[in-house]
Amino acid sequence: MTALMLAVLVGVLMATGAYLILQRGQIKLVLGLALLSHGVNLALFGTGELTRGAPAILPHDAAEAAQLLAARTVADPLPQALILTAIVISFGVTAFIVVLISRRDAFTGSDLAPGELAGVINSADPFTPHDPALALPEAADDYDVFAYELDEVYDLPEAKELLGHEEIDRE
Amino acid sequence: MTEIYLRLVDRVLTPLIVVLAISLFLRGHDYPGGGFIAGLTFAAAIELTILARGAAPVRRQIGRYLLPLAGFGLLLGVTAPLLGIYTGGFFKSIWVKFDLLGVTVKVGTPQLFDLGVMLVVIGMSLTYLLNLSERGKEQESPVFAGHR
Amino acid sequence: MEMSLPPTILAFPVAIPLAFAALGIVFQLMRPTRAVPMQQFLAGIALVCNLAVASVLLVFTLSGGRLAFQMGLWPAPFGITVYADALTAIMLFFVGLLSLLLLPFAMASLDARRERQGFYPMALVLLMGANGAFITGDLFNLYVFYEVLLMASFVLLALGGTPSQINGSIRYVVLNLMGSILLLLAAGITYGTLGTLNMAQIAERMPLAPPAVTALIAGLLLVAFGGKAALFPVFFWLPSSYHTPHPAVTALFSGVLTKVGMYSLFRTFPLFFPDLLIAWQPLLLVLAGLTMLVGVLGAFAQPTIRRLLSFHIISQIGYMLMGLAVALIPSPFGVGFGLAVAILFLVHNQLVKTALLTGGGQVEIEMGTGKLNELGGLVSQKPLLAVLFFIAAFSLAGFPPTSGFIGKLGLIEVTFATDKWLIAGVSIFVSLLTTMSMIRLWQYIFWGKPHTQRRSRSEYAPSTTQAMLLTPTAVLVVLSLLIGIFGQRALDATQIAASQAIDRKAYIETVNLQPTPGVQASEPSAAVLGTRMSAP
Repeated sequence: MTALMLAVLVGVLMATGAYLILQRGQIKLVLGLALLSHGVNLALFGTGELTRGAPAILPHDAAEAAQLLAARTVADPLPQALILTAIVISFGVTAFIVVLISRRDAFTGSDLAPGELAGVINSADPFTPHDPALALPEAADDYDVFAYELDEVYDLPEAKELLGHEEIDRE
Repeated sequence: MTEIYLRLVDRVLTPLIVVLAISLFLRGHDYPGGGFIAGLTFAAAIELTILARGAAPVRRQIGRYLLPLAGFGLLLGVTAPLLGIYTGGFFKSIWVKFDLLGVTVKVGTPQLFDLGVMLVVIGMSLTYLLNLSERGKEQESPVFAGHR
Repeated sequence: MEMSLPPTILAFPVAIPLAFAALGIVFQLMRPTRAVPMQQFLAGIALVCNLAVASVLLVFTLSGGRLAFQMGLWPAPFGITVYADALTAIMLFFVGLLSLLLLPFAMASLDARRERQGFYPMALVLLMGANGAFITGDLFNLYVFYEVLLMASFVLLALGGTPSQINGSIRYVVLNLMGSILLLLAAGITYGTLGTLNMAQIAERMPLAPPAVTALIAGLLLVAFGGKAALFPVFFWLPSSYHTPHPAVTALFSGVLTKVGMYSLFRTFPLFFPDLLIAWQPLLLVLAGLTMLVGVLGAFAQPTIRRLLSFHIISQIGYMLMGLAVALIPSPFGVGFGLAVAILFLVHNQLVKTALLTGGGQVEIEMGTGKLNELGGLVSQKPLLAVLFFIAAFSLAGFPPTSGFIGKLGLIEVTFATDKWLIAGVSIFVSLLTTMSMIRLWQYIFWGKPHTQRRSRSEYAPSTTQAMLLTPTAVLVVLSLLIGIFGQRALDATQIAASQAIDRKAYIETVNLQPTPGVQASEPSAAVLGTRMSAP
């Protein structure tokens, strides 16, 4: 029963995560990824035998340990270790994505990706108030910005304005 | 402007959480605890300070040390297993037991590794937290809109 | 000649880059003007040491040796196993070589901002992740090293923090994270079914698993590793991100990232699923063909150097998968010949693609643009680069006497011998398209009249910078030519690697699995397995 519930829960988490990732907003993307990794972590949890209230510790006494193993009242420690590792990793990756997205928001001033936003605004959607200041180039990732970087023109005021980042200089 | 009560809580609670973090670290290995948890707890203590006093003063005080701290932790984390080669193999643990004022103290390379983990976690998670706390205050600059 | 090596040496491909990266990060404490030269110096030492260790391993394994080491000396299925054979050593060697060659390129071309943000330590972490993924003998550990590799690549990709980079990074991170999730799921299912994560023990027990579960694990691994390697339906992260970072980063990625994914396929499929490799051959061949075609056709539409080359990366991955698909089919050239050619092709691709990207990167850096229609006429300004780029381009297309010719010849030979006419035809057709695309690229950059009045920055740059930019391209092109000329020698070496990679028994013996305490020795490990299988 517990195993079945776990399986259903994993399915629901994965499905919700996949659904959220396919949505437009960036925060939904982060939430979706978090749900997906939670789903996998739960699936990992299910790979050990599901025991209730049993610690993952075997006594030193061999006979006692064998008895516990035979009665299966001991938890498998390995899935727990795997989940812990996976949680740490997904924490790190999620933190990274959140910073990336918040930085992109600072660039675009919105929750949407620049390319997507350009599509939305340029498609003359009657429900979108047209703001000329928000008319974006269709492909935001092209060489127009890149050309500035390569010339190492970070000290030029216009480049600084263009790239929108402050020089972190500790001197 | 930050809250006066929060500043008071910060003054009282932050040292306590730091002590908790250190005790969690020392308990590690044989009992629940260890470097990762201790590092997160420590970072939570500093985050309380960030909330109470703002990100800027914290950044001024410790900002430049965070990444090198993580690097130092990483260095410890790789040194500890390398020491193991001395006793036979990479990651082989070395334990030393001695009496200190009547208390048996057990020190070993796994603890060194754990310390490394703790420093890495403190460094990285504080970098992340500071970064996010500052970003909220940052003025939005719609680059693409200003572009051409 | 019997050589012996202490197995502890296997710790160093991971420990060296990590230790020096950590030291480099500690030096962030100093003023950037002092920290950066220090980090460059440390990276240089680390890369040289790493290459030295890899060379020792290469010599050792090519003479028939294998090494396995247990972390912390815990007996095999309980500790983490590290394993090296010739396939591992070849990968370690060439990735180490590429990283070392890219160091002067990066030093000469990186802007101060990226250097201060820690390019060199992060590149070392990337190397450590790749090396770890090569040598590990544990499925979960493989996942962990993949994540290390990916984390470093995330940072390198976003380094500089321009809008285009952030945009590319988000796509890259999300799509790669999904791949990692699938890899983790595969590891979980493996543990749940077989009760082990040690790759030797998985190889031992996989035949006992129900066929559906085996197929599920194989499918998940194929999608996960295929995603990292940019195979046909899951390659989208690559062309949408590879052109955004600094050219040095792109060159590093092209030599390391996709190749690690391909290596993992080479490692796991013959080891875990030798039967499926034969049963799924049509599927793999279709994927290989589509990867080649889509990659090369996509390249035609690309307006810039690096966008074009990133599509070619995808196209070339198809050839390697083609070699893997015919790896275990008996052919007149011996079992595993397909895999041997695929390994050779992988090495060839690492060298040549990196040469093209460093050459193209040099053009971008000096001209300030990578748009094909804004370039032209560089042959008079940079004749040496033009020649080198030309050779590399034709090596990619597969002309003699370059390494590309040997690789493609071997692949076509083995597919002909096993009556896979269709894929052989597709691969020849794709080679033709690659040639056209490469001619187009070369012509746009180097031929004709200079398109704009823009002057090359090289006129102001000191000659040492020039030399440092050109070094990796030159060395890699020479290596490609050498592999092409001494083709049989190279193929003999990769044949050793291939026959070691498909020899599952020797892998299991080298790892030296210990019996589980509590289970009687007379009882095979299937008993442990049986309890798991019967569990509801």
